[in-house]
Amino acid sequence: MKKTSPLSVALAFLVVALPLGWGLYRSIKNSMPLFTAGKPVAPAPAVPAPK
Amino acid sequence: MPSFLDRARTVASPGFSRWLVPPAAIAVQMCVGEIYGFSVFNIPMTRAIGITKSVPEDWTVAHVVLATYSLGLVMLGLSAAFLGKWVEREGPRKTMFVSSCCFCGGLLVASLGVRLHSLAVVALGYGVIGGIGLGLGYIAPVSTLVKWFPDRPGMATGLAIMGFGSGALVGAPFGVELMNHFKTATSVGVSETFLVMAACYFVMMNFAAWIVRVPAPGWAPEGFVPGSHSGKLITTHQVVADEAIKTPQFYLLWGVLCCNVTAGIGILAQASPMCQDMFGVTPVVAGGFVGLLSISNMIGRFLWSSASDFTGRKAIYVVYFLLGCVLYCLIPFSERIGSVALFVAATCIIISMYGAGFATIPAYLRDLFGTVQVGAIHGRVITAWSMAAILGPQLVTYLSSYQREHGVPKNEAYNTTLYIMAGILLVGLVCNLLVRPVDPSHHLADGGAPEAALPKS
Repeated sequence: MKKTSPLSVALAFLVVALPLGWGLYRSIKNSMPLFTAGKPVAPAPAVPAPK
Repeated sequence: MPSFLDRARTVASPGFSRWLVPPAAIAVQMCVGEIYGFSVFNIPMTRAIGITKSVPEDWTVAHVVLATYSLGLVMLGLSAAFLGKWVEREGPRKTMFVSSCCFCGGLLVASLGVRLHSLAVVALGYGVIGGIGLGLGYIAPVSTLVKWFPDRPGMATGLAIMGFGSGALVGAPFGVELMNHFKTATSVGVSETFLVMAACYFVMMNFAAWIVRVPAPGWAPEGFVPGSHSGKLITTHQVVADEAIKTPQFYLLWGVLCCNVTAGIGILAQASPMCQDMFGVTPVVAGGFVGLLSISNMIGRFLWSSASDFTGRKAIYVVYFLLGCVLYCLIPFSERIGSVALFVAATCIIISMYGAGFATIPAYLRDLFGTVQVGAIHGRVITAWSMAAILGPQLVTYLSSYQREHGVPKNEAYNTTLYIMAGILLVGLVCNLLVRPVDPSHHLADGGAPEAALPKS
């Protein structure tokens, strides 16, 4: 009986983990301004109702 | 078609590790999930002629979205619904290979369409041909994983569908990097980007087709006794797809998925403008918020669905609907007190449960109908997604515009919509609570041997 080597399993996971990790890194980096942005500005004034 | 692709050639030999199947499933789903990140091409495709800005001969964003994203999702639902039984018969390897040919071939045709500046060719490529690839690539890994992990079906489907959620995280920046590389004074670089993406995705998807296997008949994980994961809703019987659609359970789960997705997709589609209108943040900051939602969407698929193995599927959907309802009602409150943190936390949890709704449904189907044609049944249920993809964004866009036109301040223009979304979740909750075990008259007659239901090829 030929058993699957744990190395094959690790390599298979690595193939998908690499692009996934890169994508995660990019997204987290892009979301940083959300936490570093200053105090939120006041909400915009109401749009007047059409006459 | 070469015999290497046949189902019989993919039956795992003794000693094969089932842990090779999740990476195969994630790889395929990550590639076809690229559609979630397709919006990065919207603006460049509307400047294919004008390059730096749109000119009258250029396409509009609405036309591009219709020809690619919308048509692709409709074809996903249709191909999953109509080809589900073929997927079960031919097995995951052939399906993944055909999916890669359609999805990547569709990208090649779309590339030609951009070069010729023909929206019809783009629609045929990405929307129709690519959409068929999407449907096949979406259901094949899910049904295979459910069969490999009878002891943890929620975790298994969570893993696979997490891959689809990650498609935007990888596909969107990948597309942007490639367009930046290829753009010149005379080209926005979209056509070349599609070519490179087609090649990369083809390799990735066929890597998955190469390593995927189906379990041998009668195989079970070590120490697993069928029926040991007891629960009123977990059957040891089998129901075929044609019989499943005659049961009320099928339509209740269709309603569960439709309500869950309608509510979530409404937020996703409007996340950036909602954040800007409610808190006055800049588009860049709102873009970061959208990124956070993508991460929550992906992680929620795995975590919540895995948790359903312990709580049961019905109970976890009660959590999705009730907690979701409370969180939707909290969003207007977060705006009133000016708390961005509360807004981000509430929306991230909502979107994590939106993703989880997708990921848990195949395990729920497996509980009720068995594994024999779970892929085909899943394919038919996800037509609810196509319906929700139209309902959700339309509802949010129409209602918020209506509110603004009637003098509601733009930071409060989403409140009514959010309360309506909370109501939709309550409808989903009722559908879920009505789910009961399938009547035995629908069970497969021979005592439920899965092999008996596989169509003879």
